[in-house]
Amino acid sequence: MRASRWTVAGYIGPAVLVMAAACLYPVLTAFQLAGFRWDMGTPWSSAVWVGWDNFRAAAGNPQVWQSLWVTLLFAAVCVTAEMLLGIALALALEHPVRGMAVFRTIFILPMMIAPIAVGLAWRYMFDAQFGLINALLGLAGIEPLTWLADPTLAFVAIVVADIWQWTPFVFIMMLAALAGVDGSVLEAARIDGARWWQQILLVKLPMVMHVIAITLMMRLIDAFRVLEVIYVLTFGGPGNSTEILALHIYKTAFIGQQLGVAAAVSVLLLVVVAALSWGALRLSDPLKDSA
Amino acid sequence: MNPSSSRRTALKAGAITVFGAALPFSGAHAQSRYAKYAGQTVTINIPAHPHYDAMVKLIPEFTKETGIKVEIDKLAIGRLKEKQLLEMAKPQGDYDLACYIVMWKGEYVAKNLVQPLEPFFANPALADPGYDMKDIIPIYLENLGLVGGPKGYLAGTGAKLYGMPYGAETSVLAYRRDIFAKLNLKVPETYEEFGKTLRVLKDQSGIGALTSRGQAGHQCVHAWLLHLNPLGGSVFDDQWRPRFNDATGVAALKFLQEVVATGPAGIPGFGQGEANTAFLQGQAAMYLDSTSLAGVVNDPARSKVVGNVSWALHPKGVRRASQSGGLGLTIPKNARHADAGFLLMQWLTSKPQDKAVTRLGGAPMRNSTMSDADIVRQYPEFIVFKEALKYSNPDWRPIIPVWDRINVQALGVGISEALTGKKSAEDALNGLVAPVTAIMREAGYKV
Repeated sequence: MRASRWTVAGYIGPAVLVMAAACLYPVLTAFQLAGFRWDMGTPWSSAVWVGWDNFRAAAGNPQVWQSLWVTLLFAAVCVTAEMLLGIALALALEHPVRGMAVFRTIFILPMMIAPIAVGLAWRYMFDAQFGLINALLGLAGIEPLTWLADPTLAFVAIVVADIWQWTPFVFIMMLAALAGVDGSVLEAARIDGARWWQQILLVKLPMVMHVIAITLMMRLIDAFRVLEVIYVLTFGGPGNSTEILALHIYKTAFIGQQLGVAAAVSVLLLVVVAALSWGALRLSDPLKDSA
Repeated sequence: MNPSSSRRTALKAGAITVFGAALPFSGAHAQSRYAKYAGQTVTINIPAHPHYDAMVKLIPEFTKETGIKVEIDKLAIGRLKEKQLLEMAKPQGDYDLACYIVMWKGEYVAKNLVQPLEPFFANPALADPGYDMKDIIPIYLENLGLVGGPKGYLAGTGAKLYGMPYGAETSVLAYRRDIFAKLNLKVPETYEEFGKTLRVLKDQSGIGALTSRGQAGHQCVHAWLLHLNPLGGSVFDDQWRPRFNDATGVAALKFLQEVVATGPAGIPGFGQGEANTAFLQGQAAMYLDSTSLAGVVNDPARSKVVGNVSWALHPKGVRRASQSGGLGLTIPKNARHADAGFLLMQWLTSKPQDKAVTRLGGAPMRNSTMSDADIVRQYPEFIVFKEALKYSNPDWRPIIPVWDRINVQALGVGISEALTGKKSAEDALNGLVAPVTAIMREAGYKV
């Protein structure tokens, strides 16, 4: 029996409305704001329509492009490392091992900590004078490094903090996906003489490619939105060596009081993230295959 | 009479004229002043800051004395402004009293977000006849409280009081007297001596010479301004044209680069907390920054240098010019309980409570507190601090409404790049002239 159009609309309608209110409204507001010059703390009636001026100001600001470059580099390094580590960990821990529940809980702990706390914890750990990282390096005979005072090392610091916090997300997603792999297929591969790495690369991973694509997309989106950890850890410095686009938007809106320009840069960020997400889904689109 | 003393005289005279006029009518007893507001709840927005940690301990006494309840909304200092702007833009806000950083005062007034205090002090039903406005340290009152006037943020015709200093500070030099004695070093009085002392300490003390803030943004600009002012420089000239890249600006930045080279490792990443910690944990022989360090330097739980620290004036360059800044209290325009908020502000900044908060480690804002024999016995460094206040420069930084943007998004990037060696001092400052000029033009300055 085919459901009527009205029945379908009745089922999905509420969800569509909630999604529209929760997702679409802020996006449309950002587009609207990008057309105005408006200072936070002043009435909206004082906002002045400036057309494309905010987009021109954003496009003409070298700091925006520098921040975009930092963001792309940050996302590329972090997401690549997180995907590789997360998949490797999941493959290593997918089989029942004694104490596995404890291991899994420990692995997902970083993800549950508030980003501000993560930023503060790493700020102390990377402290040049009293930090744990330099203490550990000292045990290996390495001279203390001024992690947060050097542009390259500061970038490494924000990458390490992000990898530490978000590799567990990839791990959980992959663990769940691997649990759903049909054992008989692996059995057949073994009977056909597949080696362990062939089983992983040619059987297991292709079978969970949908999950890999979705996880990759979610991590990419998150990597472009990360703010608090970097705000606390480096505040974008030294110079603007770690000023990712989200932090640039924050500073433009809340320090520079240029909400319109910040909204215009947000639209640029949205375009970049949408393009990358589309690319990630091209790897394997679960919706397409299930249609 | 020099310009700064004439300004102080004018400020005192103005304060007496404005607020003294109300005194004959303000004979109401304290109880009747508070009775009307007993049972109301005042919401105060404060930062996580040692002075306000001390203030919180006084609040139960206020409620006991007045019947006014107090709700405290405490935030990280970096998040204070965005929350306040959101709250104060609403038709009716949640805050009846808000703590602000000095740099925001011009912006808040320009956006019509805060109330002038004169009507409150002129209201005999609210004003405390024993308040004694003249006793408030004039430089603090001017720097934290006044908006308007010829420059927009200093005393003069048209300046009005919009806030009271509460957590205000100036800059002083703290040094390790044990290390100075061991190395037979003289405490630097001039910048020339200061520069030489940095090298000697670096080479001979085994620890960093001078700790300093250096993180990108506000922190490194603050550190640079500490040296720019005594060396005779300023950010703008009298026509608001950038002059920070002149010889004094470059000299101040080169001095800061020397501080980084001779100081504890990692200064370009130091916020105020890390800079303080380096000194308190014995990693630096000198500290040149806010007087707020005094509250913790002899606390064994937080300091390894208890009993080994002495204080001196900010060294002199071509002039003496110590910092003026810190925190103040203001009443939002959309406050629900503005009168009760004022009563709390007035109570906190009264003579007895200023002494009380100082005893608890807070920063005094009254001359009577700084001179109080018991307080001076507890904090002998106040003798130096009082002297330092004579040289506190109210024009230490241009607190115009767009200063925050210039401070963090322009100067704070270029100066940080000079501290990491990415750019020379000259290149960094010259490269900042165009963006700062653009911001000033956008803000309506004809430069």
